[in-house]
Parts: sequence; structure tokens; C-alpha cells
Amino acid sequence: MIRFEHVSKTYKNGTLALKDVTLDIEKGEFVFLVGASGSGKTTFLRLLLREELPDQGRILEAGRDIGEISKWRVPYLRRNIGCVFQDFRLLPNKTVFENVAFALEVIGRPRSTVDSQVPQILELVGLADKSKNLPGELSGGEQQRVAVARAFVNRPLILLADEPTGNLDPTNSETIMALLERINRTGTTVVMATHDKVLVDRMRRRVIELDKGEMIRDQVRGVYGVDKAAGSF
Amino acid sequence: MRVYFRYAIKETLSNLWRNRMMTVAAVLTVAVSLSLVGAALLLKQSAAQASAQWQQGTRVTVWMQPTVSPSEIASVQSQLSNLPIVKQCVYYSQLQDYNEALKLLPQSESSVLKVSDMPSSFRCVPTVPSNAFVVESTFANQPGVYKVTAPEQQIREMNRAIRVLQIVFLALAGVLLLSATVLILNTIRMAIFARRREVSVMKLVGATNWFIRVPYITEGFVQGLLGSLVAILAVTALHTWYPLHNEFRLNTSALLGTNAVVLAVGVVIGSVGSAIAIRRFLDV
Repeated sequence: MIRFEHVSKTYKNGTLALKDVTLDIEKGEFVFLVGASGSGKTTFLRLLLREELPDQGRILEAGRDIGEISKWRVPYLRRNIGCVFQDFRLLPNKTVFENVAFALEVIGRPRSTVDSQVPQILELVGLADKSKNLPGELSGGEQQRVAVARAFVNRPLILLADEPTGNLDPTNSETIMALLERINRTGTTVVMATHDKVLVDRMRRRVIELDKGEMIRDQVRGVYGVDKAAGSF
Repeated sequence: MRVYFRYAIKETLSNLWRNRMMTVAAVLTVAVSLSLVGAALLLKQSAAQASAQWQQGTRVTVWMQPTVSPSEIASVQSQLSNLPIVKQCVYYSQLQDYNEALKLLPQSESSVLKVSDMPSSFRCVPTVPSNAFVVESTFANQPGVYKVTAPEQQIREMNRAIRVLQIVFLALAGVLLLSATVLILNTIRMAIFARRREVSVMKLVGATNWFIRVPYITEGFVQGLLGSLVAILAVTALHTWYPLHNEFRLNTSALLGTNAVVLAVGVVIGSVGSAIAIRRFLDV
């Protein structure tokens, strides 16, 4: 589903963000991306969204080199990728329903699709009874569930999550994780950048660790931090 | 496609309403500047039409002294009829000129005139309007000639005055059009800023660039359109109610042509303003 081939990225100001990263992520995998701040996690996600292009190497998504995609086709690439962020990024003046519906409307989906899909996805995230509320009236955990609903309503192949539990208490974090797991079980590839040691250690999924732009660990059923000698292969 | 149109119209209207103060300012600036453009165009057409009409009937009038002798009249007459650049000449006696003056002058002035004070005159039509000057230079110093007048000169002077006026109008309009473009650019920029959250979400979920851009382009377009509609009202009112001599009166098709130009310029201003704003501030 996702393949990095010797990908390097240096920003214009000279910051080295990724250095010679090669990896494969299979369809339906759940991958944690861990590492200190500035280790390149966000760049990794931005490259997947084609918000940035690699300096060297290439990135394939669903078999296609995304560097080859012309600029005007990029939106169509992004329709296959859902995104969730630490800060939710909901539209404060739209209701929960409208926030989720917006994602479908702006890609030109007809009203009938919106009216059938949105209630369904809100049911999935457990917010069917809050569909008329504004984001400001919800708790942080609920807001993040709306964001997940928005990211998933178009049934993308890949779901990217950039520290989705970063602003949440442990209980809400658990809820979001359960939701991402459930989405993963539908066959969606999930890549989640996180600092949440407890979650990573409990889930025992594939862990990719970055350090100053280099991939220093790629471990199936991994934990957040390991003894470097023992854990990596 | 239907979904898209509804979305674009809804967004455009809500942007216009949200920025209504700026919108009003932009629309009025467009309206004022385009009114000036329209007025300048009307003025130019009026002047061209009037001078064409006058030139058609351009005559040179050779005025004789009231005290002129019959032999001097005969001499001037024979010279005029021998001049190849003069098509035809008609002699107006003192009485005829007196009657004409009675018609042209207000009573307070004509009442003090006497027939014997009036000059007699030759009303000549030159073959080409510009030949009027030749007639003027040939006869101005002849014995018995009081003076030679040709309206050509006045037409030219009037045309020059109108041209200056027109340049002033167009220069003012140019400055105002520039500021109108900047105002529209600024309203679009504010609309984009007010919607930056929506725009970033749209990019994230894969809305196409044109889907994101079109509401802002139509917003500028509508502002230009509204401005030019107001200007068209002003230009039409000017055309309809401003008191002018018949020679200056333009027909309806000239008015329609002017209004078409005003409309086109308004729409272009609006589109250009928003296009610049989108290029600079809407990074998609």
C-alpha cells in the first residue's frame, strides 16, 4: 500500500527531516510512528499527503509513484487518504453533522450520499445524538471522534493520524484508539504518529521509530521505547 | 455539477454578506470610476457627432462692411465665383441678414439693430471643409470686407476643449479603476482569510483547486458586475436627462455601446482583482 524507497528530505532552511528511509507498509496494517519531536514524523505524513516532495527517492501509494502525479491530480490522491490531527481542525461554526458532511460536499458528492453516509459514520463514532451540536459544545474526546468521522466518511484507503491523542486524557485516548482499531479492521491502512507510550505498549502493533530523520527501528508487535540492543532487527 | 453550483453560489453570497462593508466600498468605487469612463465615452461620441454635423454644413461667411459700395460687392462676388475651392455662394442682403439676426438674437439686443447697421454677406460652401481657411485668408483684407468667419475654427477649439476634458475624465477613471481593483483584491483577501480554516480542511479532504477558488472568483466578478450596473444607471441617466443641443444628442445604440463597454470593464476589473488575490493569498 505504501512504499518508501530511499526517501530523503531536507527543507529549504537546511533542516534534515528524513534521511534515506526505505520501508513497506502493507494494505490493512496498523503502524505506529514514534520518535522525539523533530525526528521527522510529521514530514513522513506530509510526504504521504504530497504536501511535500522528497529530494531523493520515491514514494509509492497503491502502486503509484506519487511524485509523478501532476499537481492538479493531487486532490484526487488526497481523497484516498483520511487525516486526523492533534488539534482536531473542526470548523467551529458548523455543526457536527455539517463538519462531516463538508468533507463529502467539497469533493462534489451528491446530497443523497451525504444524507446516507454522515448519519452512518456518526453512529460508528458514537455521536449520532450530538449531530446538531457545535464543536465548542463537545468535549475534546468527542471533537476528536468527529474529526475521525470526517476523515473516514469518504472510506479512504489510508488513514493518517498525527498525535490524535495528544490533547486527550487517557480515557478519551482509549476511545479514539478503539475507533482507529475498528477502522483498521475494515481494511484501512492506519499510520499513527504518537508520543503515547502507554497506548503503543498496550497495542503491540508495528512500530517504526525515527531519530533525526533516520529510521532506527522497524519492529512488528513493537513497544514505544526499547532497549536498542534487544529490540531492533 | 448541480451540487457544485449550489455550493459556489451559496459561498459567494455568504462571502459578500460577511464582508458587506468592504463590498459596498468596492462596488461604489467601481461604480464611480466606470461612470466617469462612461461619461468620457459619451462626451467623445457626442463631440464627434456634433462636429461631423457642423462640418457637413460648414460655410464660410464673408461679411461686407455696412458701408460697402456696390462695385466692391461685385468684385468680391466675381472672385468668389471664380475660386475653384468654393462650391457655391449665396448673397445675403442687409435686409436678409437683419431678419436672420432678429431670429438669432434675444429681443433686448435685436431691438437696437437697424437694417443699415447690418453687414451684407456671402454665404459660401467650400468644396472641402478645410478649404474654409483659404477663403478666409484670401478675402479677409479685401476692400469692403468686414471679416471672414468660418465655424471650422470654433469646432476645432471646442474639440480641443472636449479632448482635454476627456483626458481628465479618463485619467481620473484610470486612478479610480486601479483603486477599485485593489479594493476588490482586498475584499477577496479578507474573505480568504476569514475562510482559511475551511480552505485548509478542503485541501485536506481533496477538494479540487477550482472548487476552492471559484467562490472567490465569482465574488470579485459579482462586485465588478454590481459596480458596472450602478455605473450603467448613472450613464443612462446622464444620457437621458442632461440637457444638450440636438447636435450632441446621441441615439440609443451609442448609449448601448457605451454601457456594454462599462459592463465589460467592470467585469474584467472584478475578475482581475480576485484572480490576483487568489494567486497571492490562496495557496492551493
